[in-house]
Amino acid sequence: MQVQVLSARFDIPDANTIEVAKKHGAYATLEKVFAMQPEEIIELVKASGLRGRGGAGFPTGLKWSFLPKNIDKPVYLAVNSDESEPATFKDRYILVRDPHSLIEGIIICCYAIKSHAAYIYIRGEYTTQVKVLQAAIDEAYAAGYLGDNVAGTDFKLDVTVHRGAGAYVCGEETALLESIEGRKGQPRSKPPFPAVEGLYGCPTIINNVQSIASLPFILTNGPDAYKAFGTEKSPGTHLFGISGLVKRPGMYELPLGLPLLEVIEKVAGGVRDGRSLKGVIPGGSSTPVLTPEEAQTVTLDYESMAAHKTMFGSGGIVVLDDTVDMVKLVENLISFYHHESCGQCTPCREGLGWMLKIVKKIIRGEGATADIDLLTELCDNIEMKTVCVLSAACTMSTRSYLNKFRHEFEAYVTNSASSQAAM
Amino acid sequence: MAEKVKLFVNGQEVEVESGKNLIDAIGAVGIEIPHLCYHPALGADGNCRMCLVGIEDGRPPLVPACKTRAAEGMKVQLDTDKIKKIQRDIMELELINHPIDCPICDQAGECKLQDYYMKYDGQQSRMTVKPVLKAKKLDFGCGVVHDQERCILCARCVRFTRLITKTGELGIVNRTDYARVNIFPGRPLANRYALNVVDLCPVGAMTSKDFRFKQRSWFLTKSKGICHGCSKGCNIFIDHNREKYKDDIIYRFRPRLNEKVNGYFMCDEGRMTYKLENDNRLSAPQIDGKETGFNEAVEAIRRAVSQANKIVVAVSPNASLEQMHAVQQFASAVNAPLTGYSDGYFRKGDGDDFLIQDDKSANRYAFTLLGIDDSKAGFEAAVKGADLLLSFQNDLSRSLNETEMTQLLATVKLIMIDSSHNTSVAKAVVALPVASYSEDSGSIVNCDGRLQRYEVAVVKNQPACTLIHAVHLLGGEVKNGQEARIGLQASVAVLKDVDLEQIPAEGIALTENEVAHVAA
Amino acid sequence: MSDRSQLIETGKPFTFDAQRDAEFERLAKRYPTRESLILPSLWLVQEQEGWISAEAMAYIADRIGTYASMVYEAATFYTMYNIQPKGKNHICVCRTLSCYLLGKQEIVDCLRQELGIKPGEVSADGQYSLEEVECLGHCGTAPVVQVNGEFYENMNVNKLKELLATLK
Repeated sequence: MQVQVLSARFDIPDANTIEVAKKHGAYATLEKVFAMQPEEIIELVKASGLRGRGGAGFPTGLKWSFLPKNIDKPVYLAVNSDESEPATFKDRYILVRDPHSLIEGIIICCYAIKSHAAYIYIRGEYTTQVKVLQAAIDEAYAAGYLGDNVAGTDFKLDVTVHRGAGAYVCGEETALLESIEGRKGQPRSKPPFPAVEGLYGCPTIINNVQSIASLPFILTNGPDAYKAFGTEKSPGTHLFGISGLVKRPGMYELPLGLPLLEVIEKVAGGVRDGRSLKGVIPGGSSTPVLTPEEAQTVTLDYESMAAHKTMFGSGGIVVLDDTVDMVKLVENLISFYHHESCGQCTPCREGLGWMLKIVKKIIRGEGATADIDLLTELCDNIEMKTVCVLSAACTMSTRSYLNKFRHEFEAYVTNSASSQAAM
Repeated sequence: MAEKVKLFVNGQEVEVESGKNLIDAIGAVGIEIPHLCYHPALGADGNCRMCLVGIEDGRPPLVPACKTRAAEGMKVQLDTDKIKKIQRDIMELELINHPIDCPICDQAGECKLQDYYMKYDGQQSRMTVKPVLKAKKLDFGCGVVHDQERCILCARCVRFTRLITKTGELGIVNRTDYARVNIFPGRPLANRYALNVVDLCPVGAMTSKDFRFKQRSWFLTKSKGICHGCSKGCNIFIDHNREKYKDDIIYRFRPRLNEKVNGYFMCDEGRMTYKLENDNRLSAPQIDGKETGFNEAVEAIRRAVSQANKIVVAVSPNASLEQMHAVQQFASAVNAPLTGYSDGYFRKGDGDDFLIQDDKSANRYAFTLLGIDDSKAGFEAAVKGADLLLSFQNDLSRSLNETEMTQLLATVKLIMIDSSHNTSVAKAVVALPVASYSEDSGSIVNCDGRLQRYEVAVVKNQPACTLIHAVHLLGGEVKNGQEARIGLQASVAVLKDVDLEQIPAEGIALTENEVAHVAA
Repeated sequence: MSDRSQLIETGKPFTFDAQRDAEFERLAKRYPTRESLILPSLWLVQEQEGWISAEAMAYIADRIGTYASMVYEAATFYTMYNIQPKGKNHICVCRTLSCYLLGKQEIVDCLRQELGIKPGEVSADGQYSLEEVECLGHCGTAPVVQVNGEFYENMNVNKLKELLATLK
């Protein structure tokens, strides 16, 4: 089931060095790229159907085409390497095992969008990864693939690595821009959209590491080769992360569209011996949980996920078995989102803290049915009333546990002291 | 004329200015969209979420009004069940960690959370868990006290120090519900407009040390006035109250919006000049330093006037147009040269590029209009050979040094008609108390040539005599303000067609051309 | 999160050493605005001293030419910046989702017992500090621990004890 499109060079020793990477095809697309017009490249990427791999799944070529024409301001590329969504652990492999595919992708993208400055926003916790990445960038400069004359042309490109420092919210594109500009990662209201007014007030494209690293394959083999993988509306491959209570957790590159349960069984070995499946988080902690019954008909693509009222997200699959206390899992998740809230707007800042305290109260045995109802209502009160979707990431996932595993919450309440006293 | 567009609010068609955000556009036709973090002088931040409105057939269907431009045909929904629920929910979330400090909070009675709770919420609390606790009563400098628990993190104060004063003392540190406003250690508020954050704060998170616990806002009468601290003439509210068994005193000045003069703000120094209206007032007439009756003092002055060989009359640059006219008329009637010499009222180099002016008097512009000489040479010529100096609120000790003052008083008898104690009053042979500007009405012209009018604000238990009436008692022809205005319109060219009784709220700009035609 | 707004003053002025100074100047050329240097500068201070004092923040603000409040905001917003000294071995245990499901609590409890400190604290001898952090992006090899930035994957109590032995 596994394929090697993005991960083609991952297992080659020292593929992070330019010498080895080039021997295996790195930077081979550039001659062709610089012979094309930037607009042609955008059309090519559109034709490939590549969708943003950060979690939103927005068509990449279409995003590039939103840039205004004939602007006198510089255009920027920001590469989102913040990778902080729980259950997501894919981009780090690109950074460490094949950073030159990312650099080559950046050159292709910047040429297409006429940008001469790219910033790679890498999460602060990726200490070892940032060293490998910076070394690769230095090699690229030395070899003339970055700097004043990219690959011998008169195209100029500078790539700067900007380290984050421990904030999940900086994975949100406008918060990422704020962080590069030296401020707290507090998302901006949209409109205006970054393609029009982004970094330093200039037109900016923000793409995920994996999306950019997909470009060399598409340019080498053409959009049809990319579309040969996956489904019609969700073409290509993805670096899926399977973790949680499975036998063989890990990162696996697969074409989109495979059945979820089959992947969990065949690729990751299924649940541990003697245990039964209780639920699956399909695409990162922010995606609504699926019951085993629901998971039966889910395939790993954007459309099937939407039809099952969840999301493809970042492709971070977490397997839950019968040992999992769903209420305590919800506490763990709400605690995460509360900790990561930027604090800018009222519903998220105050509301997530309240939700956390309510679920802790329930777990302590002091909760009542009204608290479960309140928790459910707060999901509705907070969601979509905020500047960004971090709060929705919390509320949508929490709501799915409340709806599908309500009996577990009620068990805490039935056993609680207040109910006992009332009896 | 601003361009108008037609849009719908709650199904009703209204005509609003295009290009404005929905809060301002719809607010201008009398419909309130509740908001906490938006402020016209600071721009939209979009963090409180109280201004969320529905846009029928809109993409997206729910938008913050502060960030949405009024557009033709827009269908704004404010009173649907959905929007009302959102307003209740946002209020609930604002209040869960908000300490119910109302009984001890200065802001009570003028608090946005209170007002919006009554209008848009009204529900019982459902908070059964511990709230977030933060620091209270932090001294931020410049007389600003901060309470982090009351703070709703609207960031108005932070935006003020970054966008308006560009001094950046305030910031919001931490994230999630640990976020709070703070100053960097060792770098407190240090700008001359810091106290504006107290007005800007929609709740009681920013309070003024000077005003704390002094008076409840609902007891205050908020009269309109004009600050006399410098020649900018910032529009103010004079907030005063007469407590039982006490006198009517002023508790604070607050800036009042005038887009043509001071915008939404005023400087801290001007804000504190309210104390000059309350304290150190000359209330009892004096002859040779001893208290006497009003009539006795008037008599003494009239005697001195009739017996004098040469009289000099001095007038203050703080006097209103009407007062200056009455004094000018009186001076001419007693054949006295009139001087406005008041160099000491300047603080050279003190002004800035925002509101503060070097000239610390309120109406010096009027000297030019009325042809009153305020030069030192003119003053010296005027007092040469004079034996009586009648000063109407002009404290000459501010402009003359001790030697000059002593020299002057060696040959000239000084009579002060003033509202406050000062060095000149102390050295005068007769001192006659008159009303201060907050107890009087009149018109003044600011440094930019803008004519503005102020009305009586404070009414003391024993109201002091107005300056114009005092001049009349001493022999001046002008009986009252109304007569003064008629006289002004007749004698000052630029005021010929101005109805001084009906000056609009924003004032009137007296253009350069018109000033050039002033009667010499 | 906790209240990170209580900064520590060393009582001594701060300045970049030669290496950090050169790096600052190099970075200054890569951004069109000075404020963009705030996050990189905070990292430089932390590289040099291990943590960031109030004086260091004031130094950064003045060197960049921005408000001290802006540096203060960034230093407290981003939780990886140490605003107090940490132990020689700063141990971060991931606490989220997969690591939670695969036994992060046992690891935290073991560390509490072995080191005698709670998350957020520094040991009395300054050798160790402990922190629970959010998802480190290594979910496939959970549970995960970071020591001074180095990743240790597929951890369990036994491996942890072996690791601690090497740190002594």
